[in-house]
Amino acid sequence: MSGAAIRLRGLAKRFGRRPALAGVDLDLDGRQIVGVVGPDGAGKTTLLRALAGLLEVEAAEAVVLGHDLAGDVSDLKSRVGYVPQAFGLHRDLTVGESLRFIARLHRLAPEAFAARAEVLLARTGLDAFVDRPAAALSGGMKQKLAVVCALLPEPALLVLDEPTAGVDVLARGEIWSMLERAREQALVVLSTSYVDEAAACDRLVYLDAGRVVAAGTPAELRARVPFALYRAWGDDPRAIARAARGLEYAQGARAAGRCARVTVSTARAPDERRVLADLAALPAGGVRFVERTPLDMESTLLALAQELGARGSA
Amino acid sequence: MSDPIIRTQGLTRRFGAFTAVDALDIAVAPGTIHAFLGANGSGKSTTIRMLIGLLRPTAGSILVDGIDVIRHPRRVRDRIGYMGQRVSLYQGLSLRENVEFYAGLYGLAGGELEWRWGVLRERFALGEAEAERPEDLPGGLRQRAGLALATLHRPRLLFLDEPTAGVDLHSRALFWELIQEEAAAGVTVFVTTHFLEEADYCDWVSFIDGGRLVADAPPEALRRRFSAGYRIAVALPAAARAAARAVLAAGGHAVEESAEGLRVDSPELAPRLLETLAQLVARHPEARVGIEQPAMTDVFRNVLAPAAGGRA
Repeated sequence: MSGAAIRLRGLAKRFGRRPALAGVDLDLDGRQIVGVVGPDGAGKTTLLRALAGLLEVEAAEAVVLGHDLAGDVSDLKSRVGYVPQAFGLHRDLTVGESLRFIARLHRLAPEAFAARAEVLLARTGLDAFVDRPAAALSGGMKQKLAVVCALLPEPALLVLDEPTAGVDVLARGEIWSMLERAREQALVVLSTSYVDEAAACDRLVYLDAGRVVAAGTPAELRARVPFALYRAWGDDPRAIARAARGLEYAQGARAAGRCARVTVSTARAPDERRVLADLAALPAGGVRFVERTPLDMESTLLALAQELGARGSA
Repeated sequence: MSDPIIRTQGLTRRFGAFTAVDALDIAVAPGTIHAFLGANGSGKSTTIRMLIGLLRPTAGSILVDGIDVIRHPRRVRDRIGYMGQRVSLYQGLSLRENVEFYAGLYGLAGGELEWRWGVLRERFALGEAEAERPEDLPGGLRQRAGLALATLHRPRLLFLDEPTAGVDLHSRALFWELIQEEAAAGVTVFVTTHFLEEADYCDWVSFIDGGRLVADAPPEALRRRFSAGYRIAVALPAAARAAARAVLAAGGHAVEESAEGLRVDSPELAPRLLETLAQLVARHPEARVGIEQPAMTDVFRNVLAPAAGGRA
C-alpha cells in the first residue's frame, strides 16, 4: 500500500452552526493502536465517524486507506470496521445470525466465514451463546459481539468509539486482547475515557475544541508536559492533600489510597529537594514519606487539559 | 465503627423473573465516602433508587439516618442530597433560576439562601455559569452545578449516581477533590461509579456484580487480599547497599537484591515501613525510592476472576 493509511489536512465538520471539527491535521500509519483522547465535546466521536466514512466532511485533504473522504466512500466502508458508542447491532438477531448478516453484507466466502467466525467466537467465549438474541446478552458480551462483527471482514482499519465504556473489568481485558491481536493486521483507532487504556495505546491523539493539540507516543506526551508528580504517604492522605493544595506551586492534590498525589508546575516549583522538604513539613495528615514519582498517564492527561486552558473548569 | 448511617439487610429487588439486586447487606459509616462499584447493568442504580425511597424493594430492610425508608420514603428525602446520572437541572432555566427553584423546595429563602449559595458558588467555581442555561454549559461545569444544588440544603448524606460518567478526566479530578471536601466536613457520601480506580478516593468499597456483593471492604484491605502487594524499589550505588539493607532489615522487612539496588515486597504500607524508607533516604540522599501501588483495576480483575466462568 502506498501513502499513509490516514492523512488529514484541515478536516472540518459542522453540525448546524456548531463546529465539531475545526481543522484536524493528522497522519496515522502502520499497525498500531491509536487512542483518541480529550475533553467532552472535543470532537472525538465526530473524528471517528469521519474516519469510518460515515460523515460528509470538508477538508483540504482527507485520505483514508487511499480513498478521498470527499468522494465516493462506499469502497472505504467495506474496508473499515466500525464500532459505535451506542449498541449498533440488531437486537433481535442472535449472535450467530448477527455474524451471518455481516458476512452476507461483505460477501464473505462461506468457508472463510465459517472458519473465521468459529475462531472469533471461541476466543471471546461467545460460542456458548450463539443462539442468544443480542439484546439478551450482558453489557460486556454485547460489546464483544460488536467487536467480533467489526473484525469479521478483516478490515484494514478498525475504528471503535469508547468500546469498553461501562463494561466490566474482565470483558474490558478480553476486548483489549482482541484489539491487540487485530493490530497485527490493521490500524486500530479508538476513543477511551479510561486512563489505563490510554496508557496502553501505541500512540495518542489529544483532541480539544475540534483540533489535534498534541499527538505522539504516551512517552512523548509525558515528556512535553511541564508538570511533576509527587506522592506524600502518611496517616490521613485527605488531610495531606488539603494541606498540599495550599502550596503556591501545587496544581492539584488529591488523596488516592494511602497517599496524596500532588502535581506541581515545573516552571513555578522550586527544585525537587525543596518540594520534598515542603511536603514532608506539611502541617497536617502525619506525612511519613515523600517521593517524586514518574508522571503517569493520569497526570499527563490532566496536565494537557490544564495547559489547554481547562475549558469548563474556569 | 460508629453506628452505620446507612444499613440494608437482605435488600432484594426483582423485576419479573430477573433479580436485579440480590440480598444486599450494606453498612455505611457516617462521614465516610462509600464507593458502590460495578459494571453497567450490575444493579448499582436499582440499589441507589431503593436507598433514597424512589423504588420499593421486593424484600429486605433499609435504614437511612435512622429512618425506615420503606415505610417512610418521603421522610428521608429532606436529609439527603441526590444527583442522578443525568444531572437534574432544568433546561430552559438559568443556573440561578434552578437554584431558586430548588431552594423553594427546601424552604430556603432570603439572606440564608444568598449566603449559602454564595458559599457554594465560590467553592464550586460557578460564578461565570450563573446566568447560563445548563444545556449550554460544558459537561464538567454542569456536573459541578448539579453537585452544588444537591448540597444546597446541607444534607447529612449525599447519594451520587455515576457522577463522573461521561465527564472528562480533568473535571473528574476536580470533582473528587470536592467530594473529599464534603466528607471532611462530615457529610456521608454514597457514590456509584464504573471507574474502578476511583475506589482509591473512597474509604470503603462495595463491589456489586450480577446483583450480588462480591467484595465489601476498605480499598487497602482489597489490595491486601487481591493483589501481589506493594513493591518498593530502592535504586542506589552498590557501595551503599549493605548499609541500606541493614536499615530496612532493622525495620523488620524482607529485602531482596535487584539489579538497581534493593527491593522490598510488602502486602501493605504500614507507617513503620514508610518511616524506615524516610530514614533510608535521609541517610543515603543518592537513593531513589519508587513505590509501586497495585492498581485498583487489577485488584478488581482478581476479585472477579474466580467467579467469571460461564458468565453471560
